[in-house]
Amino acid sequence: MRNGFQATDNSQPNGSEKQRKTHYSRLFRRFILLTIVCSLIPLLLVGWGINIHYTRFSNERMINAFQIQVEYHRKIIELFLKKHSSKLHLIAQSHPKDYLLSGSNLNNIFEILNREYRSFTDLGIIGADGYHLKYIGPYDLMPNNYADTFWFKEVMEKDLFISDMFMGFRKVPHFIIAVTRLEKGEKWILRATIETEVFRSLVENVRIGNTGEVYLLNTKGIFQTSPRFSGKIMDKAPTPIESFREGINVRIIEKHTDHHGKKYPRQIYSQTWLKDPPWLLVVKQNYDEAFSEVNHANYATLILLHLSALIILIVAVFITRHMISVIKNRDDEADKLNRQLLQTSKLASIGELSAGVAHEINNPLAIILTEKQILLDMTNDTAATTPEIKGQLSESLEQIDVQIKRCKRITHGLLRFSRRTQSVIETINTNQFISEVIELLEREAGSGGIKFFTDFEENLPNILSDPSQLQQVMLNLITNSIDAHDDKAYGSIHVRTRSNNQQGVEIVVADTGMGISPENMDKIFDPFFTTKPVGKGTGLGLSICYSTIKNLGGDISVWSEVGKGSEFKVFLPFSPPPHLLEGTADNPKDYQMDIATVSS
Amino acid sequence: MQKGKILLVDDEVAFTTSMAKLLRAKGYQVTTAGTGKEAIGFLEAENFDVVVLDLKMPGMDGMATLIEIKKLKLHTETLILTGHGSIDLALESFNLGAYDFLTKPCALNDLLNKIEGAGKKKDVTEKRDLLDGMIRIKG
Repeated sequence: MRNGFQATDNSQPNGSEKQRKTHYSRLFRRFILLTIVCSLIPLLLVGWGINIHYTRFSNERMINAFQIQVEYHRKIIELFLKKHSSKLHLIAQSHPKDYLLSGSNLNNIFEILNREYRSFTDLGIIGADGYHLKYIGPYDLMPNNYADTFWFKEVMEKDLFISDMFMGFRKVPHFIIAVTRLEKGEKWILRATIETEVFRSLVENVRIGNTGEVYLLNTKGIFQTSPRFSGKIMDKAPTPIESFREGINVRIIEKHTDHHGKKYPRQIYSQTWLKDPPWLLVVKQNYDEAFSEVNHANYATLILLHLSALIILIVAVFITRHMISVIKNRDDEADKLNRQLLQTSKLASIGELSAGVAHEINNPLAIILTEKQILLDMTNDTAATTPEIKGQLSESLEQIDVQIKRCKRITHGLLRFSRRTQSVIETINTNQFISEVIELLEREAGSGGIKFFTDFEENLPNILSDPSQLQQVMLNLITNSIDAHDDKAYGSIHVRTRSNNQQGVEIVVADTGMGISPENMDKIFDPFFTTKPVGKGTGLGLSICYSTIKNLGGDISVWSEVGKGSEFKVFLPFSPPPHLLEGTADNPKDYQMDIATVSS
Repeated sequence: MQKGKILLVDDEVAFTTSMAKLLRAKGYQVTTAGTGKEAIGFLEAENFDVVVLDLKMPGMDGMATLIEIKKLKLHTETLILTGHGSIDLALESFNLGAYDFLTKPCALNDLLNKIEGAGKKKDVTEKRDLLDGMIRIKG
């Protein structure tokens, strides 16, 4: 039976420990996942959504701004051209040819035109035959006949002509504006060259950021002004020209390399056709520069968004870890409680069983005892037997007696263990009470070389408890302590009393005995568990202590180290649980039952 | 020395038989009964000094028997001897007027001492009642 009890719940803690660990880590993962699903994902979705929306919005704004800029530039150029052609028109329409040709009249007009700022290089009047009738300017162009030039024909048809940039006779890029006047059935032409620098500066000096450039192209794709980066005036533009289209066209050109191997980054490119002359105004800028502010804002919001997501994650991890530890502690506590409950219920069921068994065994024992007595009496009375047989017989009967007493000790122990008694509650002076118990055992202990030391707290408050049950507990504990010195020649038992936290008293029985091995620690309060040799202990002593102290509303705990000794700590409340106090008054007191004491 | 009359009540025949044997050997007059009912029958018919009563019996158990005995208003003392000892039962039996409470198995000497005590108590109460009666008659 002893071995049976020892072999029960062993070797399980490791497995369940591992299981529990995985349980907690699973719980941890689940909490984190939940946090991510419930807070991070929505946050990121909203953040990204806002970001995308904002980016699109600001890109549109940027492109709009770009468009407005292009529109503005076009207006300026058109205005410039319009202004100059209007001036020429005014001159042509308001002065007859003869007046302009005579004397220094044209020269005067030229001077007046350029008074504000020098925007006309030269001025000339050409007849219907294409010959210069009069010329004012730095070049000697008088003998030239323009009848075969491309512009002569056009101006004769359209009345207004603005040429592309061309080198002409003077080998400098320039363009001309020519107007016609029909006078007395004959057409003549007023032609002026626009000061190239004035016009070019109008376009070329526009600075858009570090990478922006503005230039004009004619229908053949020839630069009409020098772009900042991509070429020179009169060069052919690397990109093919598109046919005429109304309005402003803005698009993003992705990274590319042209046929010269020159690399171009992503660019925002905008173009619009001027009406007259048909020039293409191009404004372009590196995309990254144009959108740098938008991008910066984007980066900032994205960084902030992800940073806050990260912070949430970190906080979640910490909170979860804390929560898990709280849960773990609670689980541990619940476990402890469960173990205690298990112990209690185990004790209860064993108690019920053992009470029944003990009761049933008592009857046959009683019969055996009486029969033994009869036999003993008969042996003593008859003269028929020889002294030898008589001796043998009485020895056997003696042995029967001893064994019956042993059985009785077990059954009484069982009954006491399972007892559901009505406690007799009295006021107990703990110090005095323990002194009496020690006195009872001092002689027995003294013969085993064991000394008692007491350390009582003075003025220890009295407690309300059951003295007979308590006496049993103290007897059991101290007897155990004495027995723990079996393998030692001498030893000591310290008994200490202390008041505990205003709730009760604490009695500590410490010995210098052999101690309890860790593997036995869990089982010492189990019924029938004993380390004493067969026949010496029933294994019920400590389980009786346990159930009794619990019944009285107290607690018992043990500390032990093999070879050094054990320490049993009994806590008793000042007052027992209320149900024990009921009916105390009408029970007769002071009746010392002989069934309830350990037979020594 | 005059030994008393004892009524042994227990459903265990083996126990009553051997115990009766023992007690007779000690000089007592012993009658055995197997049930409470039988015991009450004996008590109504005869005068006993001490009843040794088991608690757990089929039919009418020890407690019920004790109550019945008390109803008879005899001077006979009742000694409980049972295998089912508990303080609760002991207290209950005292409340019902039992002389003492012993648990099986008990040493013969203990039993004899208790029987002796019970017998003496019975004598005392009997004499006192007798005296009381005489005083009342005189008065």
